[in-house]
Amino acid sequence: MAGERMLECRGLRRCFGDLVAVDGVGFHIDPGETYGLLGPNGAGKTTTISMIAGLLERDGGEIVVAGEPMTTHTIRAKSALGYVPQDLAIYPDLSARENLVFFARLYGMSTAEAKRRSNEVLEVTGLTDRAHDQTKTYSGGMKRRLNIGIGLLNRPKLLILDEPTVGVDPQSRNAILESIEGLSSEGMAVLYTTHYMEEAERLCDRVGVIDHGKLIAEGTRQELVNLVGERDHVHLSATGDLTKAAAALAVQPWAHEASATEEGIDLVVDDARENLPAILSDAASAGATIKSVEVTEPDLEAVFLHLTGRALRD
Amino acid sequence: MRAAVLICMKDLKARIRDRSALLIGIVVPLGLAFIFNSIFSGISGNSKAIAIGVVNADRGAVAQQFVGQVLGAVGRSGLIAVHPEATVAGARALAAKGTLNAVIVIPAGFSARVQANQPASMQVIGNVDSPISSEIARSIAEGYTSDLNRVRLSVATVVHGGGSSSSLPPGEIRALAARAVAAAAPVAVLDVSAKSKELDQKSFFAAGMAVFFLFFTVQFGVTSLLEERNNGTLARLLAAPIARASILGGKLLTSFLLGVISMVVLVVATSLLFGATWGNPAGVAVLIVAAILAAMGIMSLIATFAKNAEQASNWQSVVAVVLGLLGGTFFQVSQAPGILSELTFVAPQAWFLRGLGDLRGGGISVVWVPALAMLGFAAVTGGLAVTRLRHMAEV
Amino acid sequence: MKALWIATVNLRRMFRVRTNIFFVFLFPMVLILVLGATFGGSSDPRLGVVTQGSGPLGAALEHQLEQTPHLRIVSVFDRAALLTQVERGNLAAGLVIPPGYDRAIRTGHDVAIRYMARTDQSSQQLGETVQGAVSKQAALLGAARFAVAERSAASFDAGLAEATRTLPAVPPVSVTETTAGTALFSKTLGQFDEGAWTELLLFLFLTALTGAVALIETRRLGMSRRMLATPTSPGTVIVGETLGRVLIGVIQAVVIIFGSALLFGVNWGQPIGVAAVVILFTLVGAGAGIFLGTLFRNEQQAVGITLLLGLGLGALGGCMVPLEVFSPTMRRVAHITPQAWGNDAFARLVGHGAAITGILPQLGILAAYAAVLLALATWRLRRVLLA
Repeated sequence: MAGERMLECRGLRRCFGDLVAVDGVGFHIDPGETYGLLGPNGAGKTTTISMIAGLLERDGGEIVVAGEPMTTHTIRAKSALGYVPQDLAIYPDLSARENLVFFARLYGMSTAEAKRRSNEVLEVTGLTDRAHDQTKTYSGGMKRRLNIGIGLLNRPKLLILDEPTVGVDPQSRNAILESIEGLSSEGMAVLYTTHYMEEAERLCDRVGVIDHGKLIAEGTRQELVNLVGERDHVHLSATGDLTKAAAALAVQPWAHEASATEEGIDLVVDDARENLPAILSDAASAGATIKSVEVTEPDLEAVFLHLTGRALRD
Repeated sequence: MRAAVLICMKDLKARIRDRSALLIGIVVPLGLAFIFNSIFSGISGNSKAIAIGVVNADRGAVAQQFVGQVLGAVGRSGLIAVHPEATVAGARALAAKGTLNAVIVIPAGFSARVQANQPASMQVIGNVDSPISSEIARSIAEGYTSDLNRVRLSVATVVHGGGSSSSLPPGEIRALAARAVAAAAPVAVLDVSAKSKELDQKSFFAAGMAVFFLFFTVQFGVTSLLEERNNGTLARLLAAPIARASILGGKLLTSFLLGVISMVVLVVATSLLFGATWGNPAGVAVLIVAAILAAMGIMSLIATFAKNAEQASNWQSVVAVVLGLLGGTFFQVSQAPGILSELTFVAPQAWFLRGLGDLRGGGISVVWVPALAMLGFAAVTGGLAVTRLRHMAEV
Repeated sequence: MKALWIATVNLRRMFRVRTNIFFVFLFPMVLILVLGATFGGSSDPRLGVVTQGSGPLGAALEHQLEQTPHLRIVSVFDRAALLTQVERGNLAAGLVIPPGYDRAIRTGHDVAIRYMARTDQSSQQLGETVQGAVSKQAALLGAARFAVAERSAASFDAGLAEATRTLPAVPPVSVTETTAGTALFSKTLGQFDEGAWTELLLFLFLTALTGAVALIETRRLGMSRRMLATPTSPGTVIVGETLGRVLIGVIQAVVIIFGSALLFGVNWGQPIGVAAVVILFTLVGAGAGIFLGTLFRNEQQAVGITLLLGLGLGALGGCMVPLEVFSPTMRRVAHITPQAWGNDAFARLVGHGAAITGILPQLGILAAYAAVLLALATWRLRRVLLA
């Protein structure tokens, strides 16, 4: 159905004994959208994901995946999902192909379909050459690729990845991120959890910030940044009458701070992008010659810090 | 159901790959059966050619008859080799060394004393390292002396029977004695143990070993759930569009199939290769299925208490050995008086062996009680295990 | 010293899991119970007797058996029931006095009484006792018949009465028994004693081997490797691993020996000799166990092989079926196993009342086994840890 949300969850709640791991988390994901769940270790990301994927019973709330309600016992909703857990979940005594065919058949494909689809996934993950070898002989990177590949077998409408790049070398990490971008561009909805801000910024259309089991903020990157009301830093490398230029800029309504330094001018302004032409012309008219401009926008790290008083990464 | 079968096939494939199931289910029990067979094939009817020395210090008629006829017959049977020795001291030394298993000594004057109606005795020198042979030597000697006693009593009865205590002339007594000797013993004991199928030791060992190893073979099912959890793949199974019950179902199916395959191979192999008798096939089948289910229940329950597969395996092994001990798979415990003969039935193995034993003697209806007992084990332990597993499946 | 520390840590780790404590001591307890009850010869064996239709003479025979010392008679209804009881072990043996026994004897026919027993050693001795009792009856009946035939008695019963009267006056021909060498004869060698050490050796070896599985776990967790990262020589690590296992084995053996001695009066022989055998044998088991532990990556495979070796070598070595019944060839084969030498040592300690000096050859062989296996274990463990 056009316009039908891929994922809708409301009021999710889960306790472990006295510990409330997830407290009233709710968000939605539209078709083709990449949604990031950003938060530090222990925030409740994996618990939330587990409930959404139907692995864990919820103590409260509702989950609807592609129009079907999701519980630990449902089958229809699970068919629409692809799941890539944080820890490698592959059978070491079986080959890549055997792993894939097994899971494909679990997802309801016939043997022929399963074989065909497995071959496709092997191509996509670049494992065709080693497809017959037992996965315990694979390198870490290959195992990761297979781990993700299994999640793609059933052509899911929503792919869930739980911190897929933790402990991964930079090269493989990049490869993983690229593949996810590729999938996204093909129209797959993705739910991505991470505690790496750069990944969230790079991949996600919208981000939900989660801490101590609560969703404390949500929106596009811009919205989040705006939420916090952080301002842009602009640094101009310039020569000439810097003091005068700084003073001229300081009086502008969109400028909060302007100071001259040895080799340029430091500014704190609202929305540097919009006001940049004005900044440059004002500085030039005031007698400064501008050599280069550096704009530093606040990032999600700063957002998080602002929201919680703590750093994103421990 | 389909998912359960898929999971089962995947597990079997993995198990066959790492060879562990093949090892425990088939190779090891067969290996042991082979060893037992080698041991037993040296034994026929529980006796082997033993060496009994005889020292005939007497040379009288009675002694000659014993050595010539009694021991002669014994020697011809092939099971016992009779070695005449010259002196008691020499024979005793050989017995002490172990060259002879036992020695029968007919002391000088034996025949004379027997014929003179005086007390007489033969000697058996045994070797404490060959208690069975010593017993056999003693039984040979005692067989002869009891016959002598019978003849004596017969003669004495007749001599004193007429009411007169008159002594008959020696010639008459000798004739009387000869007639008494000619009269055979009215009662003899016939040992029919070996003919009776129920008492066949070979089959006991085959059955005992098969059911002992069954408790190892079925461990692969539920323990693998622990493995999958620690491996991370349990999460995938839970996320897949399959009923949760089919995950457990697949594991149980694996256990069951491994148990069946292993038992069938063992029954066939021990019957064909080693000559063990198992009995009525239908009855055996019922007992096997019940035993497999009981084993699955108990081993699964233990696994639910463990944190990981290694721990589960360790505990399961100890319990399997203990239950095997109690259940009489190593040696027959039901002989024991008192508490042990009751305690043995705490182990399903005891019920299995009991069922098989009864089956050899009777018709198929005898298997129902042991089968039901084992199914009871299965139901209780299995039920508890499943309840606990519901918690375990939460990732 | 460090090795001792490693051993202590290993043991502490193991016993922190309470269930492990339970399991380490569970099987010795059960073993004591099973051995004591199975082999405890203090109670008299039970002989089942079927006398259905056998008449007064049959009853008389049963009565005679009841008078026999060291025998408990149980009346059983019929042959089928008797067979079941014997097979199940509720009766040590059974005797069927056939129907028509009485009439057959009186009319001059010879009767065979069927005897059935389990084919184990205690039944053999029981057979002797039964044979003796029946022979006594046979003598009386034979004499009665003879008296009738010789016309010194008017009827069978008269003859029987006469024979019974005459019996005390007839001097018996008997069999006396002694033992070769300085041994204690089998009568004082209680049934229990004969079986106890074979099972002890069987299960000591088995548990030492299953300790191999624990080693695999250690390897898997990389504990041993981590130990190597500290300034500890591989030799120390190895000794530490071995010590722990030997200690557990010795503790279990001590529990079994003391438990069975105290509770069931088992004689194990001279304490020093016993200690020597047990310690050496445990070393053999530990060496074998660790060596095995280095060969497998997968505890499932290890379990299979340890069972095969533990039970197989045990059976071969005379732990399940006594060495005495082995054919000469098999007995030679048996002495490939350390168990056979252990059994020999105990047989001398208990059966012959030997002191430790009397078992030096066996101890020597066991020590050689231990040395070889521990050397192999050390070599393999070193290769594996440093790989």
